[in-house]
Amino acid sequence: MKREAQKIAGNAAAVIASIILGLFLLFPIYWLLVTSFKVNMEIYRFPPDLIPRTFTLENYREIFSDNSVMQYILNNFIVAFGTTLLTMTASSLAGYSLSRYPSIFGKIVRTSLLSTQMFPIVGLILALYVIFRNMNLINTRFSLIISLSAVTIPFSTILIKGFFDDITRTLEEAAQIDGCSRLRTFAVIILPLSKPGLLAIGLYTFMQAWDDFLFAVTFILTDVKRTLSAGIAMKFLGEVSYDWAMVTTVSIAGVLPMFILIFLFQKHMVAGLTAGAVKG
Amino acid sequence: MARTIKISSSVFGSLLMLPAAGIVGGFIFLPVIQSVYYSFFTFKLTRKKLPLIWNNFDNYRQVWETGRLQNAFSITFQFMLMVVAAVFILGLILALLLNRGRTNERLTRSLGLLPWGTPTVITALLWSWMFQGEYGFINFLLLRLGLIAKPISYLVNPSTALAAVAVAAVWRQLPFMFIMLLAGMQGIPGEMYEAAYIDGANRLQTFVHITLPFLRNVIRASILVTIITNFKQFPLFWTMTGGGPMNKTETLAILTYKNAFVNLDFGVGAAVAAAWMVVLVIFSLVYSRMVREAEY
Repeated sequence: MKREAQKIAGNAAAVIASIILGLFLLFPIYWLLVTSFKVNMEIYRFPPDLIPRTFTLENYREIFSDNSVMQYILNNFIVAFGTTLLTMTASSLAGYSLSRYPSIFGKIVRTSLLSTQMFPIVGLILALYVIFRNMNLINTRFSLIISLSAVTIPFSTILIKGFFDDITRTLEEAAQIDGCSRLRTFAVIILPLSKPGLLAIGLYTFMQAWDDFLFAVTFILTDVKRTLSAGIAMKFLGEVSYDWAMVTTVSIAGVLPMFILIFLFQKHMVAGLTAGAVKG
Repeated sequence: MARTIKISSSVFGSLLMLPAAGIVGGFIFLPVIQSVYYSFFTFKLTRKKLPLIWNNFDNYRQVWETGRLQNAFSITFQFMLMVVAAVFILGLILALLLNRGRTNERLTRSLGLLPWGTPTVITALLWSWMFQGEYGFINFLLLRLGLIAKPISYLVNPSTALAAVAVAAVWRQLPFMFIMLLAGMQGIPGEMYEAAYIDGANRLQTFVHITLPFLRNVIRASILVTIITNFKQFPLFWTMTGGGPMNKTETLAILTYKNAFVNLDFGVGAAVAAAWMVVLVIFSLVYSRMVREAEY
Protein backbone atom coordinates (compact mmCIF):
# COMPACT_ATOMS: atom_id res chain seq x y z
CA MET A 1 0.00 0.00 0.00
CA LYS A 2 2.77 2.37 0.98
CA ARG A 3 4.52 1.73 -2.29
CA GLU A 4 1.30 2.48 -4.16
CA ALA A 5 0.90 5.84 -2.40
CA GLN A 6 4.51 6.71 -3.14
CA LYS A 7 3.97 5.94 -6.78
CA ILE A 8 0.95 8.23 -7.00
CA ALA A 9 2.83 11.03 -5.23
CA GLY A 10 5.76 10.52 -7.60
CA ASN A 11 3.52 10.72 -10.63
CA ALA A 12 1.84 13.85 -9.34
CA ALA A 13 5.23 15.47 -8.77
CA ALA A 14 6.27 14.48 -12.28
CA VAL A 15 3.15 16.04 -13.77
CA ILE A 16 3.62 19.27 -11.83
CA ALA A 17 7.31 19.46 -12.77
CA SER A 18 6.43 18.88 -16.43
CA ILE A 19 3.86 21.65 -16.38
CA ILE A 20 6.17 24.17 -14.70
CA LEU A 21 9.12 23.43 -16.98
CA GLY A 22 6.87 23.36 -20.04
CA LEU A 23 5.43 26.76 -19.14
CA PHE A 24 8.89 28.14 -18.48
CA LEU A 25 10.04 27.08 -21.94
CA LEU A 26 6.92 27.91 -23.93
CA PHE A 27 5.05 30.69 -22.18
CA PRO A 28 7.61 33.40 -23.12
CA ILE A 29 7.13 32.55 -26.80
CA TYR A 30 3.37 32.71 -26.38
CA TRP A 31 3.76 36.05 -24.65
CA LEU A 32 5.89 37.39 -27.49
CA LEU A 33 3.26 36.28 -29.99
CA VAL A 34 0.32 37.67 -28.02
CA THR A 35 2.02 41.02 -27.50
CA SER A 36 2.58 41.33 -31.24
CA PHE A 37 -1.18 41.05 -31.81
CA LYS A 38 -2.09 43.70 -29.27
CA VAL A 39 -2.77 47.35 -29.84
CA ASN A 40 -0.36 49.72 -28.16
CA MET A 41 -2.82 50.80 -25.52
CA GLU A 42 -3.30 47.24 -24.40
CA ILE A 43 0.41 46.44 -24.33
CA TYR A 44 0.89 49.11 -21.69
CA ARG A 45 -1.90 47.93 -19.43
CA PHE A 46 -1.15 46.44 -16.05
CA PRO A 47 -2.16 43.85 -15.05
CA PRO A 48 -1.76 42.48 -18.58
CA ASP A 49 -4.36 40.43 -20.47
CA LEU A 50 -3.40 36.87 -21.28
CA ILE A 51 -5.54 37.01 -24.42
CA PRO A 52 -5.73 40.24 -26.45
CA ARG A 53 -9.07 42.06 -26.08
CA THR A 54 -8.73 43.60 -29.50
CA PHE A 55 -6.82 41.46 -31.94
CA THR A 56 -4.84 43.49 -34.45
CA LEU A 57 -2.56 42.80 -37.39
CA GLU A 58 -1.57 46.45 -37.59
CA ASN A 59 1.90 45.80 -36.12
CA TYR A 60 2.60 43.24 -38.81
CA ARG A 61 1.37 45.57 -41.54
CA GLU A 62 3.72 48.20 -40.26
CA ILE A 63 6.72 45.84 -40.11
CA PHE A 64 6.15 44.39 -43.54
CA SER A 65 5.69 47.77 -45.16
CA ASP A 66 8.94 48.95 -43.58
CA ASN A 67 11.61 48.58 -46.23
CA SER A 68 14.51 48.47 -43.84
CA VAL A 69 13.06 45.52 -41.92
CA MET A 70 12.56 43.60 -45.15
CA GLN A 71 16.14 44.48 -46.05
CA TYR A 72 17.41 43.13 -42.71
CA ILE A 73 15.60 39.86 -43.25
CA LEU A 74 16.88 39.58 -46.81
CA ASN A 75 20.44 40.31 -45.64
CA ASN A 76 20.09 37.71 -42.92
CA PHE A 77 19.12 35.14 -45.54
CA ILE A 78 21.99 36.15 -47.83
CA VAL A 79 24.55 35.91 -45.03
CA ALA A 80 23.13 32.68 -43.62
CA PHE A 81 23.01 30.94 -47.01
CA GLY A 82 26.44 32.23 -48.00
CA THR A 83 27.94 31.00 -44.75
CA THR A 84 26.23 27.64 -45.05
CA LEU A 85 27.55 27.15 -48.57
CA LEU A 86 31.11 28.12 -47.70
CA THR A 87 31.17 26.10 -44.49
CA MET A 88 29.68 22.99 -46.08
CA THR A 89 32.22 23.10 -48.92
CA ALA A 90 35.27 23.74 -46.77
CA SER A 91 34.35 21.35 -43.98
CA SER A 92 33.27 18.44 -46.15
CA LEU A 93 36.61 18.63 -47.98
CA ALA A 94 38.53 18.90 -44.73
CA GLY A 95 36.42 16.25 -43.00
CA TYR A 96 37.00 13.86 -45.90
CA SER A 97 40.71 14.51 -45.73
CA LEU A 98 40.76 13.84 -41.98
CA SER A 99 38.78 10.66 -42.49
CA ARG A 100 40.67 9.17 -45.46
CA TYR A 101 44.14 10.72 -45.51
CA PRO A 102 45.27 10.72 -41.91
CA SER A 103 48.61 12.45 -41.40
CA ILE A 104 50.51 14.39 -38.77
CA PHE A 105 49.36 17.60 -40.43
CA GLY A 106 45.78 16.33 -40.19
CA LYS A 107 46.21 15.57 -36.51
CA ILE A 108 47.46 19.08 -35.86
CA VAL A 109 44.55 20.54 -37.81
CA ARG A 110 42.07 18.42 -35.87
CA THR A 111 43.43 19.48 -32.49
CA SER A 112 43.52 23.13 -33.54
CA LEU A 113 39.96 22.93 -34.83
CA LEU A 114 38.77 21.54 -31.51
CA SER A 115 40.61 24.23 -29.58
CA THR A 116 38.89 27.05 -31.48
CA GLN A 117 35.66 26.31 -29.64
CA MET A 118 37.23 27.86 -26.58
CA PHE A 119 38.23 31.23 -27.98
CA PRO A 120 35.71 33.96 -27.26
CA ILE A 121 34.78 35.81 -30.43
CA VAL A 122 34.64 39.08 -28.53
CA GLY A 123 38.29 38.52 -27.67
CA LEU A 124 39.45 38.30 -31.25
CA ILE A 125 36.97 40.59 -32.94
CA LEU A 126 39.09 43.70 -32.52
CA ALA A 127 41.99 42.08 -34.37
CA LEU A 128 39.53 40.76 -36.92
CA TYR A 129 38.27 44.30 -37.37
CA VAL A 130 41.81 45.46 -38.18
CA ILE A 131 42.25 42.57 -40.63
CA PHE A 132 39.02 43.40 -42.46
CA ARG A 133 39.90 47.06 -42.50
CA ASN A 134 43.22 46.27 -44.16
CA MET A 135 41.41 44.07 -46.67
CA ASN A 136 38.83 46.81 -47.30
CA LEU A 137 36.07 44.45 -46.25
CA ILE A 138 34.50 46.54 -43.51
CA ASN A 139 30.81 47.13 -44.21
CA THR A 140 30.45 44.16 -46.56
CA ARG A 141 28.22 41.14 -46.15
CA PHE A 142 31.20 39.08 -47.27
CA SER A 143 33.04 39.98 -44.06
CA LEU A 144 30.15 38.42 -42.13
CA ILE A 145 30.11 35.31 -44.29
CA ILE A 146 33.81 34.66 -43.94
CA SER A 147 33.99 35.33 -40.20
CA LEU A 148 30.90 33.23 -39.49
CA SER A 149 32.36 30.43 -41.62
CA ALA A 150 35.56 30.57 -39.60
CA VAL A 151 33.44 30.06 -36.48
CA THR A 152 31.31 27.20 -37.86
CA ILE A 153 33.89 25.25 -39.89
CA PRO A 154 35.64 23.60 -36.90
CA PHE A 155 32.59 21.88 -35.42
CA SER A 156 31.18 21.07 -38.88
CA THR A 157 34.44 19.44 -39.95
CA ILE A 158 34.65 17.23 -36.89
CA LEU A 159 30.99 16.33 -37.27
CA ILE A 160 31.11 15.41 -40.96
CA LYS A 161 34.30 13.43 -40.46
CA GLY A 162 32.30 11.11 -38.22
CA PHE A 163 29.79 10.54 -41.01
CA PHE A 164 32.55 9.84 -43.55
CA ASP A 165 34.17 7.39 -41.13
CA ASP A 166 30.99 5.30 -41.23
CA ILE A 167 31.18 4.85 -45.02
CA THR A 168 33.12 1.79 -46.11
CA ARG A 169 36.39 2.33 -47.95
CA THR A 170 35.70 -0.48 -50.42
CA LEU A 171 33.59 1.99 -52.41
CA GLU A 172 36.61 4.15 -53.12
CA GLU A 173 38.72 1.11 -53.97
CA ALA A 174 36.13 -0.06 -56.47
CA ALA A 175 35.85 3.40 -58.00
CA GLN A 176 39.62 3.61 -58.32
CA ILE A 177 39.75 0.32 -60.16
CA ASP A 178 37.10 1.65 -62.51
CA GLY A 179 39.39 4.58 -63.23
CA CYS A 180 37.41 7.21 -61.38
CA SER A 181 39.53 10.11 -60.12
CA ARG A 182 39.75 10.77 -56.39
CA LEU A 183 37.92 14.09 -56.51
CA ARG A 184 35.19 12.61 -58.69
CA THR A 185 34.80 9.64 -56.38
CA PHE A 186 34.32 12.03 -53.50
CA ALA A 187 31.79 14.19 -55.33
CA VAL A 188 29.77 11.47 -57.05
CA ILE A 189 29.91 8.54 -54.63
CA ILE A 190 30.82 9.67 -51.14
CA LEU A 191 28.95 12.97 -50.86
CA PRO A 192 25.52 11.60 -51.84
CA LEU A 193 25.95 8.88 -49.21
CA SER A 194 26.60 11.46 -46.49
CA LYS A 195 23.40 13.43 -47.00
CA PRO A 196 22.32 13.19 -43.34
CA GLY A 197 25.70 14.52 -42.26
CA LEU A 198 25.61 17.34 -44.77
CA LEU A 199 22.12 18.22 -43.63
CA ALA A 200 23.25 18.24 -40.00
CA ILE A 201 26.16 20.60 -40.62
CA GLY A 202 24.08 22.74 -42.95
CA LEU A 203 21.39 23.22 -40.32
CA TYR A 204 23.95 23.86 -37.59
CA THR A 205 25.71 26.49 -39.70
CA PHE A 206 22.51 28.15 -40.84
CA MET A 207 21.32 28.51 -37.26
CA GLN A 208 24.64 29.92 -36.11
CA ALA A 209 24.70 32.41 -38.96
CA TRP A 210 21.06 33.40 -38.40
CA ASP A 211 21.90 34.05 -34.74
CA ASP A 212 24.83 36.36 -35.46
CA PHE A 213 24.77 39.69 -33.71
CA LEU A 214 28.33 40.50 -32.78
CA PHE A 215 29.88 40.45 -36.25
CA ALA A 216 27.06 42.41 -37.81
CA VAL A 217 27.01 45.05 -35.12
CA THR A 218 30.79 45.50 -35.42
CA PHE A 219 31.54 45.21 -39.14
CA ILE A 220 28.40 46.66 -40.72
CA LEU A 221 28.04 50.41 -40.75
CA THR A 222 25.11 51.13 -43.07
CA ASP A 223 21.47 50.22 -42.70
CA VAL A 224 21.12 48.59 -46.14
CA LYS A 225 23.65 45.89 -45.27
CA ARG A 226 22.58 45.27 -41.71
CA THR A 227 21.29 41.84 -40.68
CA LEU A 228 18.28 41.13 -38.50
CA SER A 229 19.64 40.96 -34.95
CA ALA A 230 21.83 44.01 -35.36
CA GLY A 231 19.06 45.79 -37.24
CA ILE A 232 16.48 45.21 -34.51
CA ALA A 233 18.91 46.39 -31.87
CA MET A 234 19.80 49.54 -33.80
CA LYS A 235 16.34 50.47 -34.99
CA PHE A 236 13.92 49.57 -32.25
CA LEU A 237 15.87 49.80 -29.04
CA GLY A 238 15.76 53.40 -27.96
CA GLU A 239 17.86 54.88 -25.20
CA VAL A 240 15.00 55.31 -22.77
CA SER A 241 12.01 53.25 -23.78
CA TYR A 242 11.43 50.49 -26.29
CA ASP A 243 8.61 50.32 -28.78
CA TRP A 244 7.41 46.93 -27.58
CA ALA A 245 4.76 46.45 -30.25
CA MET A 246 7.40 46.73 -32.98
CA VAL A 247 10.04 44.80 -31.05
CA THR A 248 7.79 41.82 -30.42
CA THR A 249 6.47 41.80 -33.97
CA VAL A 250 9.86 41.92 -35.61
CA SER A 251 11.03 39.25 -33.15
CA ILE A 252 8.29 36.92 -34.34
CA ALA A 253 9.46 37.52 -37.91
CA GLY A 254 12.98 36.64 -36.79
CA VAL A 255 12.15 33.41 -34.98
CA LEU A 256 9.71 32.08 -37.55
CA PRO A 257 12.27 30.71 -40.04
CA MET A 258 14.08 28.92 -37.19
CA PHE A 259 10.85 27.44 -35.84
CA ILE A 260 9.95 26.14 -39.28
CA LEU A 261 13.38 24.52 -39.58
CA ILE A 262 12.95 22.89 -36.17
CA PHE A 263 9.57 21.45 -37.01
CA LEU A 264 10.82 20.12 -40.35
CA PHE A 265 14.25 18.88 -39.40
CA GLN A 266 14.40 18.34 -35.66
CA LYS A 267 15.55 14.76 -36.13
CA HIS A 268 18.60 15.81 -38.15
CA MET A 269 19.35 18.70 -35.83
CA VAL A 270 19.31 16.44 -32.83
CA ALA A 271 21.48 13.92 -34.66
CA GLY A 272 23.99 16.66 -35.34
CA LEU A 273 23.90 17.97 -31.80
CA THR A 274 24.31 14.66 -30.11
CA ALA A 275 26.63 12.89 -32.56
CA GLY A 276 29.82 14.27 -31.09
CA ALA A 277 29.01 13.94 -27.43
CA VAL A 278 27.27 10.60 -27.35
CA LYS A 279 29.96 8.86 -29.37
CA GLY A 280 32.93 10.50 -27.67
CA MET B 1 46.81 10.12 -74.47
CA ALA B 2 45.39 12.31 -71.77
CA ARG B 3 47.86 12.61 -68.98
CA THR B 4 46.56 13.35 -65.55
CA ILE B 5 49.02 14.80 -63.14
CA LYS B 6 49.68 12.20 -60.48
CA ILE B 7 49.89 13.60 -57.02
CA SER B 8 50.60 11.57 -53.95
CA SER B 9 47.87 10.81 -51.43
CA SER B 10 49.39 12.94 -48.71
CA VAL B 11 49.54 15.97 -50.99
CA PHE B 12 45.95 15.35 -52.09
CA GLY B 13 44.86 15.04 -48.46
CA SER B 14 46.56 18.30 -47.56
CA LEU B 15 45.01 20.08 -50.52
CA LEU B 16 41.53 19.10 -49.35
CA MET B 17 42.36 20.61 -46.00
CA LEU B 18 43.44 23.96 -47.40
CA PRO B 19 40.17 25.93 -47.58
CA ALA B 20 39.14 25.06 -44.03
CA ALA B 21 42.63 25.53 -42.61
CA GLY B 22 43.01 28.83 -44.46
CA ILE B 23 39.72 30.31 -43.27
CA VAL B 24 40.04 29.15 -39.68
CA GLY B 25 43.74 30.02 -39.54
CA GLY B 26 43.31 33.45 -41.07
CA PHE B 27 40.17 34.52 -39.26
CA ILE B 28 40.45 32.78 -35.89
CA PHE B 29 44.06 31.94 -35.07
CA LEU B 30 45.66 34.99 -36.62
CA PRO B 31 43.33 37.42 -34.82
CA VAL B 32 43.83 35.56 -31.53
CA ILE B 33 47.60 35.97 -31.83
CA GLN B 34 47.22 39.57 -32.92
CA SER B 35 44.93 40.35 -30.00
CA VAL B 36 47.53 39.11 -27.56
CA TYR B 37 50.18 41.11 -29.41
CA TYR B 38 48.12 44.33 -29.39
CA SER B 39 47.58 44.01 -25.66
CA PHE B 40 51.15 45.17 -25.04
CA PHE B 41 50.84 48.34 -27.09
CA THR B 42 49.08 51.67 -27.09
CA PHE B 43 46.66 51.19 -29.95
CA LYS B 44 43.75 53.53 -30.40
CA LEU B 45 41.29 53.14 -33.22
CA THR B 46 40.78 56.88 -33.38
CA ARG B 47 44.08 57.35 -35.18
CA LYS B 48 44.33 56.48 -38.84
CA LYS B 49 48.08 55.75 -38.96
CA LEU B 50 49.05 53.25 -36.36
CA PRO B 51 52.56 53.19 -35.06
CA LEU B 52 52.19 50.67 -32.24
CA ILE B 53 53.85 51.98 -29.11
CA TRP B 54 55.09 49.55 -26.47
CA ASN B 55 53.64 50.75 -23.20
CA ASN B 56 55.15 48.56 -20.55
CA PHE B 57 51.97 46.64 -19.57
CA ASP B 58 50.03 49.86 -19.14
CA ASN B 59 46.89 48.29 -20.64
CA TYR B 60 46.92 45.50 -18.09
CA ARG B 61 47.72 47.88 -15.26
CA GLN B 62 44.89 50.18 -16.24
CA VAL B 63 42.16 47.52 -16.04
CA TRP B 64 43.72 45.90 -12.98
CA GLU B 65 44.21 49.03 -10.86
CA THR B 66 40.69 50.29 -11.44
CA GLY B 67 39.39 46.91 -10.29
CA ARG B 68 37.39 46.49 -13.50
CA LEU B 69 39.16 43.31 -14.54
CA GLN B 70 38.69 41.61 -11.17
CA ASN B 71 35.06 42.69 -11.13
CA ALA B 72 34.54 41.29 -14.63
CA PHE B 73 36.12 37.98 -13.70
CA SER B 74 33.94 37.71 -10.62
CA ILE B 75 30.75 38.57 -12.53
CA THR B 76 31.59 36.17 -15.36
CA PHE B 77 32.21 33.30 -12.94
CA GLN B 78 29.07 33.99 -10.92
CA PHE B 79 27.00 34.07 -14.07
CA MET B 80 28.61 30.93 -15.45
CA LEU B 81 28.13 28.93 -12.25
CA MET B 82 24.51 30.03 -11.85
CA VAL B 83 23.56 29.14 -15.40
CA VAL B 84 25.47 25.87 -15.60
CA ALA B 85 23.99 24.61 -12.34
CA ALA B 86 20.45 25.58 -13.27
CA VAL B 87 20.68 24.29 -16.83
CA PHE B 88 22.11 20.97 -15.72
CA ILE B 89 19.63 20.30 -12.93
CA LEU B 90 16.57 21.40 -14.90
CA GLY B 91 17.82 19.62 -17.99
CA LEU B 92 18.25 16.41 -16.08
CA ILE B 93 14.75 16.65 -14.62
CA LEU B 94 13.26 17.37 -18.02
CA ALA B 95 15.13 14.51 -19.67
CA LEU B 96 14.01 12.09 -16.96
CA LEU B 97 10.40 13.21 -17.38
CA LEU B 98 10.47 12.84 -21.15
CA ASN B 99 12.33 9.55 -21.00
CA ARG B 100 9.29 8.00 -19.33
CA GLY B 101 8.04 8.21 -22.87
CA ARG B 102 4.30 8.48 -22.63
CA THR B 103 4.10 11.64 -24.68
CA ASN B 104 4.17 12.30 -28.39
CA GLU B 105 7.92 12.53 -28.59
CA ARG B 106 8.22 14.32 -31.89
CA LEU B 107 5.91 17.10 -30.81
CA THR B 108 7.32 17.57 -27.31
CA ARG B 109 10.81 17.60 -28.71
CA SER B 110 9.98 20.17 -31.36
CA LEU B 111 8.24 22.38 -28.83
CA GLY B 112 11.01 21.94 -26.30
CA LEU B 113 13.59 22.95 -28.89
CA LEU B 114 11.92 26.26 -29.71
CA PRO B 115 13.90 28.35 -27.21
CA TRP B 116 17.09 26.89 -28.64
CA GLY B 117 16.05 28.08 -32.10
CA THR B 118 15.31 31.57 -30.85
CA PRO B 119 18.17 33.90 -31.84
CA THR B 120 20.09 35.22 -28.85
CA VAL B 121 19.20 38.85 -29.41
CA ILE B 122 15.53 37.97 -29.66
CA THR B 123 15.89 35.93 -26.47
CA ALA B 124 17.30 39.05 -24.85
CA LEU B 125 14.41 41.19 -26.07
CA LEU B 126 11.85 38.61 -25.08
CA TRP B 127 13.15 38.46 -21.52
CA SER B 128 13.60 42.22 -21.32
CA TRP B 129 9.89 42.40 -22.04
CA MET B 130 9.08 39.70 -19.48
CA PHE B 131 11.19 41.49 -16.84
CA GLN B 132 10.02 44.96 -17.78
CA GLY B 133 9.53 47.12 -14.68
CA GLU B 134 6.08 48.58 -15.29
CA TYR B 135 4.17 46.24 -17.57
CA GLY B 136 6.27 43.09 -17.42
CA PHE B 137 4.72 39.67 -16.99
CA ILE B 138 7.14 38.55 -14.26
CA ASN B 139 6.04 41.40 -12.03
CA PHE B 140 2.43 40.51 -12.66
CA LEU B 141 3.09 36.86 -11.80
CA LEU B 142 5.12 37.50 -8.66
CA LEU B 143 2.68 40.15 -7.39
CA ARG B 144 -0.18 37.73 -7.96
CA LEU B 145 1.61 34.97 -6.09
CA GLY B 146 2.34 37.41 -3.29
CA LEU B 147 6.08 36.91 -3.60
CA ILE B 148 6.86 40.60 -4.00
CA ALA B 149 5.09 43.63 -2.58
CA LYS B 150 5.71 46.11 -5.39
CA PRO B 151 6.96 45.89 -8.98
CA ILE B 152 10.71 45.59 -9.53
CA SER B 153 12.71 46.83 -12.49
CA TYR B 154 14.78 43.68 -12.65
CA LEU B 155 17.29 44.79 -15.24
CA VAL B 156 17.92 48.16 -13.61
CA ASN B 157 18.13 46.92 -10.05
CA PRO B 158 21.76 46.06 -9.16
CA SER B 159 20.80 43.10 -7.01
CA THR B 160 18.58 41.38 -9.60
CA ALA B 161 20.12 42.28 -12.97
CA LEU B 162 22.63 39.43 -13.19
CA ALA B 163 20.06 36.83 -12.15
CA ALA B 164 17.60 38.18 -14.70
CA VAL B 165 20.11 37.77 -17.52
CA ALA B 166 20.90 34.30 -16.17
CA VAL B 167 17.22 33.35 -16.47
CA ALA B 168 17.29 34.31 -20.15
CA ALA B 169 20.46 32.26 -20.65
CA VAL B 170 18.95 29.24 -18.89
CA TRP B 171 15.85 29.49 -21.02
CA ARG B 172 17.80 29.38 -24.26
CA GLN B 173 20.30 26.70 -23.22
CA LEU B 174 17.99 24.29 -21.42
CA PRO B 175 16.81 22.57 -24.64
CA PHE B 176 20.37 21.72 -25.70
CA MET B 177 21.09 20.15 -22.31
CA PHE B 178 17.90 18.13 -22.10
CA ILE B 179 18.17 16.91 -25.68
CA MET B 180 21.73 15.74 -25.04
CA LEU B 181 20.80 14.02 -21.79
CA LEU B 182 17.70 12.48 -23.31
CA ALA B 183 19.69 11.10 -26.23
CA GLY B 184 22.15 9.65 -23.73
CA MET B 185 19.37 8.05 -21.69
CA GLN B 186 17.81 6.50 -24.75
CA GLY B 187 21.15 4.87 -25.49
CA ILE B 188 21.07 2.95 -22.23
CA PRO B 189 20.10 -0.70 -22.87
CA GLY B 190 16.69 -1.57 -21.42
CA GLU B 191 17.99 -4.84 -19.97
CA MET B 192 19.96 -2.83 -17.43
CA TYR B 193 16.76 -1.45 -15.99
CA GLU B 194 15.01 -4.80 -16.10
CA ALA B 195 17.85 -6.39 -14.18
CA ALA B 196 17.73 -3.61 -11.61
CA TYR B 197 13.98 -4.03 -11.27
CA ILE B 198 14.30 -7.77 -10.68
CA ASP B 199 16.96 -7.12 -8.04
CA GLY B 200 14.45 -4.85 -6.29
CA ALA B 201 16.30 -1.57 -6.81
CA ASN B 202 14.19 1.52 -6.29
CA ARG B 203 14.08 4.47 -8.66
CA LEU B 204 16.75 6.47 -6.88
CA GLN B 205 19.15 3.52 -6.80
CA THR B 206 18.53 2.83 -10.47
CA PHE B 207 19.21 6.46 -11.26
CA VAL B 208 22.43 6.66 -9.25
CA HIS B 209 23.87 3.28 -10.25
CA ILE B 210 22.72 2.92 -13.85
CA THR B 211 21.55 6.17 -15.41
CA LEU B 212 24.26 8.50 -14.14
CA PRO B 213 27.28 6.25 -14.88
CA PHE B 214 26.00 5.59 -18.39
CA LEU B 215 25.53 9.31 -18.99
CA ARG B 216 29.03 10.21 -17.86
CA ASN B 217 30.39 11.12 -21.29
CA VAL B 218 27.30 13.05 -22.31
CA ILE B 219 27.25 14.97 -19.05
CA ARG B 220 30.92 15.83 -19.32
CA ALA B 221 30.61 17.07 -22.89
CA SER B 222 27.41 19.03 -22.47
CA ILE B 223 28.58 20.71 -19.26
CA LEU B 224 31.81 21.74 -20.95
CA VAL B 225 29.85 23.23 -23.85
CA THR B 226 27.60 25.08 -21.39
CA ILE B 227 30.56 26.40 -19.40
CA ILE B 228 32.25 27.74 -22.51
CA THR B 229 29.04 29.23 -23.92
CA ASN B 230 28.39 31.20 -20.76
CA PHE B 231 31.97 32.23 -20.31
CA LYS B 232 31.73 33.83 -23.76
CA GLN B 233 28.18 35.20 -23.52
CA PHE B 234 27.91 38.61 -25.12
CA PRO B 235 24.63 39.45 -26.90
CA LEU B 236 22.39 38.79 -23.89
CA PHE B 237 24.29 41.24 -21.72
CA TRP B 238 24.81 43.79 -24.44
CA THR B 239 21.10 43.88 -25.28
CA MET B 240 19.58 43.42 -21.82
CA THR B 241 21.80 45.53 -19.59
CA GLY B 242 24.81 46.80 -21.53
CA GLY B 243 26.95 45.92 -18.50
CA GLY B 244 24.95 48.04 -16.06
CA PRO B 245 23.59 48.75 -13.49
CA MET B 246 26.76 49.95 -11.70
CA ASN B 247 28.88 47.40 -13.57
CA LYS B 248 26.96 44.59 -11.89
CA THR B 249 26.65 42.74 -15.18
CA GLU B 250 29.94 43.86 -16.70
CA THR B 251 31.39 40.54 -17.78
CA LEU B 252 34.72 40.01 -19.51
CA ALA B 253 32.96 40.05 -22.87
CA ILE B 254 31.31 43.38 -22.13
CA LEU B 255 34.48 44.91 -20.67
CA THR B 256 36.48 43.87 -23.75
CA TYR B 257 33.91 45.18 -26.16
CA LYS B 258 33.37 48.46 -24.32
CA ASN B 259 37.07 49.22 -24.25
CA ALA B 260 37.62 48.32 -27.87
CA PHE B 261 34.54 49.68 -29.59
CA VAL B 262 33.08 52.29 -27.23
CA ASN B 263 36.29 53.82 -25.87
CA LEU B 264 38.04 52.87 -29.12
CA ASP B 265 41.06 51.74 -27.12
CA PHE B 266 42.08 48.46 -28.77
CA GLY B 267 45.12 48.01 -26.55
CA VAL B 268 43.11 47.90 -23.34
CA GLY B 269 40.39 45.78 -24.95
CA ALA B 270 43.01 43.33 -26.14
CA ALA B 271 44.52 43.15 -22.64
CA VAL B 272 41.18 42.12 -21.17
CA ALA B 273 40.68 39.62 -23.98
CA ALA B 274 44.14 38.12 -23.50
CA ALA B 275 43.70 37.69 -19.75
CA TRP B 276 40.30 36.17 -20.39
CA MET B 277 41.49 33.70 -23.03
CA VAL B 278 44.33 32.49 -20.80
CA VAL B 279 41.90 31.80 -17.97
CA LEU B 280 39.44 30.12 -20.31
CA VAL B 281 42.09 27.77 -21.68
CA ILE B 282 43.39 26.92 -18.19
CA PHE B 283 39.87 26.41 -16.92
CA SER B 284 38.97 24.04 -19.76
CA LEU B 285 42.17 22.06 -19.26
CA VAL B 286 41.61 21.78 -15.50
CA TYR B 287 38.01 20.79 -16.04
CA SER B 288 38.83 18.01 -18.48
CA ARG B 289 41.65 16.80 -16.21
CA MET B 290 39.27 16.82 -13.25
CA VAL B 291 36.52 14.83 -14.89
CA ARG B 292 39.01 12.41 -16.40
CA GLU B 293 40.48 11.69 -12.99
CA ALA B 294 37.07 11.35 -11.44
CA GLU B 295 36.42 8.51 -13.83
CA TYR B 296 39.10 6.20 -12.52
